[in-house]
Amino acid sequence: MQYKNNPLSPHLQIYKWQISSLLSIAHRIVGVINIIAITAICIWSLLLLLGNESYHPINFFLNTIFGKFIAVSLCWTFSFHTLNELRHLIWDLGYGFDLKVSKITGILALIGSFVFTILFYLIGKNIF
Amino acid sequence: MHTSTKKWLFTKISSLILLPLMVWFIINFVSIYDENYSEVALFFSKQPSKIIFSIFIIFAFFFSALTISEIFEDYIQDERTKNVANKLLNIFAITIPLLTILGIFNLTV
Repeated sequence: MQYKNNPLSPHLQIYKWQISSLLSIAHRIVGVINIIAITAICIWSLLLLLGNESYHPINFFLNTIFGKFIAVSLCWTFSFHTLNELRHLIWDLGYGFDLKVSKITGILALIGSFVFTILFYLIGKNIF
Repeated sequence: MHTSTKKWLFTKISSLILLPLMVWFIINFVSIYDENYSEVALFFSKQPSKIIFSIFIIFAFFFSALTISEIFEDYIQDERTKNVANKLLNIFAITIPLLTILGIFNLTV
């Protein structure tokens, strides 16, 4: 059928990139990454049932640079999703639709996600 | 109330509940992810972290099922494929938290 050849939303090939569209797409991608990560964390918690001996390889992996990179990356994906979701909830209340305000809150969410990543990691590691 | 309105309301309510839970979880995750077995097992088996973690995953999977179905709506054109994808998503969103909660409630340190 003809309609099957129509471009799918959000028509990336004709899109002019801007902060709002970039954050919207990033919000979806990060949301999917987060649920994959939460699923992995659920499996991680279930592996604890196998006992102390079986946990050694997991503990070894999580203490490598790659393991720490995953932890820091999750801090960012959680921070970004939390801040951008807050931005969506404010929109739902009817505020922040103005183009200028929308751009400012988008930039704030992006910069804030990096600030929160550092904060969450430092608080988690009891450095504060 | 229209089904789409209900879906939108459930998405918004669950996202509001998830915001503090996500902050709580990520801070606690950073504090335990590189610890030894007993520390990690203690976190998942002690109160109140066991209960809060259970609530967190219930809302996380509920929210993800609602929002990922929106992604399917945007990118899958064939109705039959979309229905199968949504059914699999719902099974996944029920099974994973259920198994995890059963697991951590049977975990002893």
